[in-house]
Amino acid sequence: MSIDAELEALRQVPLFSVLDDRKLRLLAFISERSLYLAGEPLCEQGEDGSEAYIVLSGEIAVEVNHVTVAHMGPGSVLGEIAVLCDVPRTATLLASDDAEVLRISKDNLLELLEEFPQIAVAMTKELAARLEATSRELAQARKSLQNEGQPE
Amino acid sequence: MQKSLFKFIWQYSSRYQFVILLVTIASYPVSYILLDLPKHITNGAIQGSGFPVQFLGFEFSQLQYLLFLSLSFLFLVVVSNGFKLFLNVYKGRLGERMLRRLRFELYQRILRFKLPHFRKVSSAQLIPMITAEVEDVGGYIGESIALPAYQGGMLLVQIGFIFMQNVYLGLAAISLYPVQGYIIPKLQKKVIRLSRERVKNVRVIAEKLGETVAGINEIHANDTSAYHSADLSERLYRNFKIRFDIYNRKFLIKFLNNFMNQLTPFFFYLIGGYLVIEGDLSIGALLAVIAAYKDLAGPWKELLAFYQRTADVTVKYQTVIENFDHKEIYPTTHLVSDEVTKLHGPLKLEGVTAQNYSSNRSSPALTLTQQTGSSLAINGSDGNGRGELMQTIAGLLPPVSGHVALGDNDLGMQNEATLGRQIAYVGRSPHIWTGTMRDNIYYSLRHRPQTDPKEGMETDNGERITPDHLRRRTHEAAMTANPNYSIYAGWDELQAAGVNTAQQLEDKAVDLCHLTGLGNDLYRMGLRSTLSAGEHHHVREKVLEARRIFAQRVREDPKLSNRLELWQMDSYNSSATVIENLFFANPRRGELNLSQLVRSRRVAAFLKAYDFYDQLISMGYQTVEMMLDLFGDVSTGSPLFATYSFISQEDLPYFQRLVRLCGSNMKNRSPNDEEKARLMEIALRIIPTKHRLGIVTPQIKEKLLEMRVAFLEREGVGSERFEFFDQTRYMDNMSVQDNIVFGKARLDRKDAEERIETRLRDIIMELDMTRALETAGLDFHVGSSGAQLNLRQKQLVALVTALLRQNTMIVIDDILSGTDTAAKERRQQLRAYVKQSILVVGTTNPEIAAEFDESWQLEANTIHQLATGSGNSQEEAPT
Repeated sequence: MSIDAELEALRQVPLFSVLDDRKLRLLAFISERSLYLAGEPLCEQGEDGSEAYIVLSGEIAVEVNHVTVAHMGPGSVLGEIAVLCDVPRTATLLASDDAEVLRISKDNLLELLEEFPQIAVAMTKELAARLEATSRELAQARKSLQNEGQPE
Repeated sequence: MQKSLFKFIWQYSSRYQFVILLVTIASYPVSYILLDLPKHITNGAIQGSGFPVQFLGFEFSQLQYLLFLSLSFLFLVVVSNGFKLFLNVYKGRLGERMLRRLRFELYQRILRFKLPHFRKVSSAQLIPMITAEVEDVGGYIGESIALPAYQGGMLLVQIGFIFMQNVYLGLAAISLYPVQGYIIPKLQKKVIRLSRERVKNVRVIAEKLGETVAGINEIHANDTSAYHSADLSERLYRNFKIRFDIYNRKFLIKFLNNFMNQLTPFFFYLIGGYLVIEGDLSIGALLAVIAAYKDLAGPWKELLAFYQRTADVTVKYQTVIENFDHKEIYPTTHLVSDEVTKLHGPLKLEGVTAQNYSSNRSSPALTLTQQTGSSLAINGSDGNGRGELMQTIAGLLPPVSGHVALGDNDLGMQNEATLGRQIAYVGRSPHIWTGTMRDNIYYSLRHRPQTDPKEGMETDNGERITPDHLRRRTHEAAMTANPNYSIYAGWDELQAAGVNTAQQLEDKAVDLCHLTGLGNDLYRMGLRSTLSAGEHHHVREKVLEARRIFAQRVREDPKLSNRLELWQMDSYNSSATVIENLFFANPRRGELNLSQLVRSRRVAAFLKAYDFYDQLISMGYQTVEMMLDLFGDVSTGSPLFATYSFISQEDLPYFQRLVRLCGSNMKNRSPNDEEKARLMEIALRIIPTKHRLGIVTPQIKEKLLEMRVAFLEREGVGSERFEFFDQTRYMDNMSVQDNIVFGKARLDRKDAEERIETRLRDIIMELDMTRALETAGLDFHVGSSGAQLNLRQKQLVALVTALLRQNTMIVIDDILSGTDTAAKERRQQLRAYVKQSILVVGTTNPEIAAEFDESWQLEANTIHQLATGSGNSQEEAPT
């Protein structure tokens, strides 16, 4: 698989949807492409994060405190939180079957954001959307908790 | 040291100067006859009459006479030039010997400088003094006596001739000499002053250059290149001014000389003419005088040039010597004496105060006695002069007051052979010598040669050591007061390390590396080193066995096999470069690098034969196009560009222009030869799994595999230029690690390298090779002044060096200063190891100090004993 194939995968990533092909290719080129066999970890919860992942093929399991909370497929971006805000990894990532992943290092990602502010804007939008969704879910959860707690 | 150049010359070369003078004088009649003979040939033999002539009792016909005279002429030409050749060689040899003597003497003086003096001089100033500045002295020495004697003699003869013709004319001939003799030295004096200034200015320039190189980080970090450029530019301007002044004066002297030389004939014509008219002088005599005067100009000019040269060289000599002639110097015997006074404990300090460089005060007086087998710690900051106190205790610095003694021997009275073989000192930033680990570790044993150089051994410049070679060396050393020690001798004094064989010494060195915590580093160095066939034959055999086992593990263990790609003749290694895949070999010599290979006709012919030349260039071109496209928007200063594009920052405009001119797919024009080479270089560096450009297609891979076979056939397995990858043979040009792994870690597997390394360690342990590799690590080259080592490694190497020798006392200043348990343990082991000596440790941490038998606290004005674990504390505060 060459960069052109990776380009195809990157186009599917919502986070990068605003980027033109040229920047996507650059992103692919400065990333490292890695193969993880089923069961091999990408990163462990609690360690310092120095890279973000973009799943190209296969499936990645997200585990928090040894409980699998999600399965992420091609096109998903993982591990960007630890890279952007210097907190330890919030989850363990495991390949649940053979997976190909693009790894972009923290330094390169930040450098890229500096070079191309439009990526930063796109990422901000995407992260804001996620935050909004999370907040809404949180509000929902609170509400249902309150509803449960109140005597009928 | 001789302050005057002439005294120096006279003292060491008077005998040879006489030889030169005698031969010069002896050659004079020959040259005279040689000049005279042509006249006889034309007048006597060719145009003469009255044959046959009698000559030397023989009778000659005209032809015979011509033949005889011509042959004599030929003979004299040979003899005269033979004289010249002999003289030149003799003078040259004498000059070179004197130069060697002078340089060695100067170097010896550097070694004799007392340590504090090195705070005042810089190497950037000393180096040009011994190398460049004295260079001219050598060329001058051979001529220094003979030239003035010979030319002066000639001058006197000619003047005498003129005086014999006529006293007045004689007086006229020399009438202007007093004027010249007055004016020229005056001018020359100014030149001498300027020369002196010039030498000093050049030294400052040398120092500034040295500082620029040493401080290059600071220059870039502070953007001060303009500041330094201005500084140097100013110095160069001053250099220009001085040199220009010198030129002016030098040529003014020449001008005056020429002018006055041509002025004298004026008197001849006037006075001589008057005398001829008056009838006091014949016209023939006047013409002869004028001719003689013309011959006068030659020697006079030579003498003048000699005078100027003498002044120049004398200045150079003096400005060098004055830097080496001062009081802060040990007597020669301190250095060269080989007499060792056996030193025994206890260490006794009696009111010792040490110079504190940072505060320019002495440290407080210290009095103590330390028995053999015990340890002493001195805790104090650098600012309070702990470092200087430690050096004083080690006998490296003289105490300001008081005495340092071992047993009854005051260290101040001992020579270096005594101090430097029984007292070890390790400071916190030790110097590491350019060379191997072994060179550095054995350094403490290399006092005097132990065995003669081996005959047949090869020297650095590829000569073989033969008895003749040795005899000549010895003779030359004797002629120049150099020592007859050979650097190719065996210098390692085994007894000093308490061992009997080289093998035991090696073992001891490796053991000490383990003791100090350098063992693992040594193992890694062993893995990284390349093993020569001669010395490490057994290790190489074992490496091959390790390779077989490793390959087997790879086959059995998928976790390993999917993390690397082994070298296999019939498969393409996607984790390696195109060139490695194509040649499937390493160049045998370092000089055959990539940029030379792509310009080699041989390689081009091979590529063309397989129709791959153009393809390779177009691969390079595609890559360049892609890079320019990918990084087109990235600002050129960005680290992304520097790290990832194939093209370096400075080559960017070159390739941008190339692509603009050649157009997409090279439609507009094809690249020229140089451009082709650059493009090939890029194509050959592609690693498919790393770059993922899609340029190395399966078809190309297949083609490369095909060519690989062809290349092997073409070069042959035993090629002198390439070493082909061969599963069954040890690869001379690969490191031990690469030899065992015999493949490349896959770049698309993140933890490949660590996993391979762990597996490697297992196999090496199983095969019991660890020790052998550590020993191989001793031959690891540490780079220029230990550039390959970090500070911790440097300190430990210096510590191992000190411990390798059996010492009466070991002084260690501020190293091994970790506070964790491992570091504590190391210190304990160290104390146990040096039980036979006195250990003195300098530290900045009171906790560490407390670990030792006795410890003292050094403050700015006081020094007092601290309570220690052993409990024998007593407060004391002498100052």
